[in-house]
This record gives sequence, C-alpha cells and structure tokens, in this order.
Amino acid sequence: MRTPIMLASGTVGYGGELSGLCDFSSVGAIVTKTVTEAPRDGNRPPRLAETPGGLLNAIGLENVGIERFLDEKLPAAAALGAPVVVSVAGDSPAAFARLARRVGERPETAAVEINISCPNVERARRPVWDDPDATAAVVAAARAATGKPLLVKLSPNTADALSVAEAAQRAGADALVVANTLPGMRIDIETGRPALGNATGGLSGRALMPVNLALVWRIAAGVSIPLAGSGGVATAEDALEYLMAGASAVQVGTALFLDPDAATTIAEGLRRRMAHDGVRSVAEYKGMAGRMST
Amino acid sequence: MTIQATARLERATRVRAEDFLCAFDAGGAFPDARPGQFVHVRTPADLTLRRPFSVAAVTGRGRFELLVRKRGEGTAALLSLPEGAEVSVLGPSGNGFGLPEPGERAVLVAGGIGVAGLRHLSRTLARDGRRQVVLVGAPTATALLDGVLPGPTTDGAVRVEVATDDGSRGLRGTVCDLVGRALEETDAPARVYCCGPQAMLRSAAGIALAAGARCEALVEEVMACGIGACRGCVVRTRTGYRAACADGPVFDAAELVFDGEERA
Ligand SMILES: Cc1cc2nc3c(=O)[nH]c(=O)nc-3n(C[C@H](O)[C@H](O)[C@H](O)COP(=O)(O)OP(=O)(O)OC[C@H]3O[C@@H](n4cnc5c(N)ncnc54)[C@H](O)[C@@H]3O)c2cc1C
Ligand SMILES: Cc1cc2nc3c(=O)[nH]c(=O)nc-3n(C[C@H](O)[C@H](O)[C@H](O)COP(=O)(O)O)c2cc1C
Ligand code: FES
Repeated sequence: MRTPIMLASGTVGYGGELSGLCDFSSVGAIVTKTVTEAPRDGNRPPRLAETPGGLLNAIGLENVGIERFLDEKLPAAAALGAPVVVSVAGDSPAAFARLARRVGERPETAAVEINISCPNVERARRPVWDDPDATAAVVAAARAATGKPLLVKLSPNTADALSVAEAAQRAGADALVVANTLPGMRIDIETGRPALGNATGGLSGRALMPVNLALVWRIAAGVSIPLAGSGGVATAEDALEYLMAGASAVQVGTALFLDPDAATTIAEGLRRRMAHDGVRSVAEYKGMAGRMST
Repeated sequence: MTIQATARLERATRVRAEDFLCAFDAGGAFPDARPGQFVHVRTPADLTLRRPFSVAAVTGRGRFELLVRKRGEGTAALLSLPEGAEVSVLGPSGNGFGLPEPGERAVLVAGGIGVAGLRHLSRTLARDGRRQVVLVGAPTATALLDGVLPGPTTDGAVRVEVATDDGSRGLRGTVCDLVGRALEETDAPARVYCCGPQAMLRSAAGIALAAGARCEALVEEVMACGIGACRGCVVRTRTGYRAACADGPVFDAAELVFDGEERA
C-alpha cells in the first residue's frame, strides 16, 4: 500500500461519494460499504446519535445488493485511483463464499473484507464474531472461493477475541481488521425513548479507540498475519499508537465526517514523524510497544 | 459541486435572543448555493460531527450567510467565535428547491427557525421579480424573526402574513392555518415551500396537497457525512429510504412518509 491508511467500510459509501473531497493518492485502500446478496433497506431512522467522544450508528447494513454493486459501484470506486477492498456479509458460510467468489473474480477488487461483526443485524444467539468455530467456517468458505487477499473484520464485542482471531488465521485469513464498533445506546430523556430507531447501535470514534487498541495489542501477540487497527483514528499520533501496538495499517472511519480528506492529513503527519524519528518505513514502528515492554 | 473550504466569519448580527445571522467568506472557489442547499460546518467545539445549516443568502462570490439558532454545544461554540475566525465548511450540499414555473404562485411557509431555509429562496424570487406570499409562524410575537425574510412590498409582489400561538401578532393559531386560506384565494396553481419542525411540515404539506398544490418540504435530520456516504440521515419516502443530505434536504412532500403514517 502507498500509505498504511485505509478508509473504513460504511463511512465512505461506495467511494464515489468522496470524489473531489479526498486526495486518493494519500489513501492506502478504500473499503466499500458492506454488500450483501440481496439489497437491504437498513434500519428505521433515526440512525445516528452523537455521544461524548463518539458516534452511535444503527444503519443496519443498508446497501444496494451485490448485482447493482458489481454493475455500478465497483467500477466507479476503482476509477478513483486507490485500491478497492470490497466488504461483504452473508447469513451463512455458503453466502460468504458466493459473495467472495463474485467480487473476487473482478479485476477492480484488490482484496475482500469479510464482515462478521456488524452489531446492527440480528443473528443467532451466539453471533459468528463471538464464536471461533463459526468464524472459521465462514473464513474457510470464503478462502476456498477466492484467491484474492482476504481480510477478516473482527468485533470488540467478544469474550475471547484472540481465539476468534486465531481461528480466522487458521482458516486462511491473510489479515485481520481489529475491530468493528461496540454496542451502545442513548435515551432521549424528554420522550423516554431510545435516540436510535433500532434502540441500540454501534459506538465508533474516539471513545472506541482505547478498547480496540487493547485488542490489537492482545491479538498481535498471538497471530502472525498483519493487523489493521480500526476505531477512533483521527490523527497521525492515533495511527502511530496502533502501529506501535502491533498493527501494520489503520482504518479511518468516523474521523472522515469531520474531514473527508483526513487520510492526507494523517499521511503527512506520519511522514513528518518518520523524518523526525529517522525511520524509513512505518514497519519499524510495528509492535514497538510490545518489544519495549518485554 | 460540494467542496471543503475554509470560511472566515465576517460578521455575526443578532436577529433575536439566540438567533444570529452570520456572514461568511469562503473564497472565490466556493460555489454559489441554490436556495434550499446547506453547508456542513465544522464547529470549534470538540464534537464528533459537523453541523448542517441552510444557506440563508448568497451575497457574492464565495460569500454566504447562515442563520444560526443557539441550541447545544456546537451552535454555542460557533456563535462564540470572534469576527475574523475561520471554520471549515463542506458544501454547498443537497438538492435545493425547485423554482416556481411561470404562472405558478410561490407560497413560502416558515415555522420558527425555518425562515433560515427560505430566506435565500425568498430573496431569489424577489430578485427575479416573482410574486410571493410569505407565511410565518411562531409561538409569540417576540419569537418572530423579523427582518430575515423580506417585508411586504407596496406593489403586492411580496405579501406577508403572520400567525402566533397566543395571538400577540397576526392570526391566533399556527402558520398552517394560513396555508389553506392563502391557497383558496385564487385558482392559480401554487407551489408551496415549507421549512420548519416536522409536525408543521406534516400539517402544512397535508393542507397544500389536499388543495391540489405542489409542495416541497425541507427536512432536518441529524447528519454525519453530509454527502450521501454513511446512510445515517435517511427519511422515509414512498419509494424507500432516501438520504436527507444527498437526495434532499428538499423533498416533494407527496413523496414523504411522516412519522406515524403508514408506509405505502
Ligand atoms: C438541512 C438542515 C438545515 C438546517 N438549517 C439550519 C439553519 O439554517 N439554522 C439553524 O439554526 N439550524 C439549522 N439546522 C439545525 C442544526 O443543524 C441544529 O440546530 C444543530 O445541528 C444543533 O447542533 P448543536 O451542537 O448546537 O446542538 P446539539 O447538542 O447537537 O442538539 C441540541 C438540540 O438540537 C437538536 N438537533 C440536533 N441536530 C439537529 C438537526 N440536524 N436538526 C434539528 N434539530 C437538531 C437536538 O435534538 C437537540 O435537541 C439545520 C439542519 C439540517 C439537517
Ligand atoms: C455510519 C457507519 C457505518 C458503518 N458501516 C459499516 C459497514 O457497513 N461494514 C463494516 O464492516 N463496518 C462498518 N462501520 C464500522 C467502521 O468501518 C469502523 O470499523 C468503526 O466505525 C470504527 O472505526 P472509527 O472509529 O474510525 O469509525 C460503520 C461505521 C459507521 C460510523
Ligand atoms: S449524512 Fe451521511 S448519508 Fe446523509
């Protein structure tokens, strides 16, 4: 990647929405909105609520479905000039496999990201993201369906993130995204009703960062594949924390709502920092925190 | 075209208690907003999201006004800026109002701070020599935002009617009570433009549509990206969820499904 900065799924639409507002030469990769086989309407509004230092969203995976995505959205995303990672979600290992095959066949797809972690979609009692065996089944199915690099996006909402991460690695993941949003809620005290139409949503932004940073730290110690840190990255310093915890890249999401060109600011900040530290590659920062504490 | 630019606060003029008309200069590259479009402002508060405001007027190349009502942290921070301060603006965004066709009467319906969204439209109509009926509602006379919308003209090109809940000025009632009367006056086709709280939009739109008028409503939703990327600001329409920021904020009122209404 040109820079270790990726734009996170669900915050850049299908990419084209940011056209003219973002210098894509500063972007390592765009991750498109998670796409499912059938189009989805998503949850009832309101879908957004701000919290101190964060944002709750309950979009509910609204997306145009795989057919329209392949016809219209993927070519437009590829035309922007940054590598395109396609995020997919299905309700069974077979569905993940079908989606991975369809998007993996396309030359515009640089990599496939498996989203097992969206908190806004009802699943079985034990969600895939909290179950190493279910995760392994999904990842193995997608792995068999495409030769493109396979990223697996984990959830912070799990009892044993490391076991899930190890299961994903064993099943053939090339990299892990650590991690998606945490479940959260706000109540409008005037009406006594939840602020979100779906009652609960996913917490992103700065408030999420220490949680996901700890996960990167923990998972980096147990797996050998690269990690992309996700959660609250807004500045070069935030990105550095993730790199030092053991990530090789970061994904920027909520920060784009304040600055759609945040990738440029972060990339410039990283370059300044590297010059100052006499560092030639961001890989030199990788896991520094771990090495120093041992 | 929507761009991100730095805008300088040239002047903030108090219109009423906590409402300020703020004049910004975003530089010559910032495109002129059409009536009904908005800008997404990065406030100087330590918040996660920008805040959307209707463009209340375009006053020159890259120069525009916002009418800002102090509500919470973001607007308070914006209104505490000294003149000359700079903020990041993303815009102009959204679709804006359709202008009336020749022969169509323009009826502007504003509730509360909704006058902000209609000021640019009203000024544009006046500039083009179009006739307009302006209907304004507020709880009391002191809450009326005088001077934001053009006053009545002696040639009748601009007519203004007022309603207050307590009858302290104009009709005792709501601005919606004025809509039916204004539409009944003549048989000429009318286009109704509404801006205000949801309950007002719903009722004004209901009256306008029942009278056979076309009706456009400017809706306000909490926004994150402001450019159609996050799907956070959707409103219900007869054809499914549409993004208020990119498909709106102005919608054909006949297409909107308001809270409490069944989905068609
Ligand atoms: C397209 C559009 C145009 C708008 N135009 C104007 C305008 O011209 N002038 C103006 O003063 N305001 C306008 N608003 C509303 C303005 O965006 C909110 O008042 C502002 O975001 C509140 O920010 P805050 O941080 O001060 O308050 P917060 O602390 O965020 O909220 C304070 C109160 O305001 C309400 N609120 C928050 N966001 C919105 C919103 N988007 N719409 C309505 N209420 C909200 C909250 O429910 C809460 O009760 C517009 C909104 C939209 C979507
Ligand atoms: C509005 C919104 C929509 C999102 N949609 C998706 C999605 O469709 N798929 C997904 O994998 N993650 C989705 N996410 C999660 C983000 O990709 C990201 O992992 C998370 O927000 C944490 O990073 P951040 O704090 O930088 O935003 C969404 C986040 C937000 C705020
Ligand atoms: S605010 Fe993101 S789609 Fe409208």
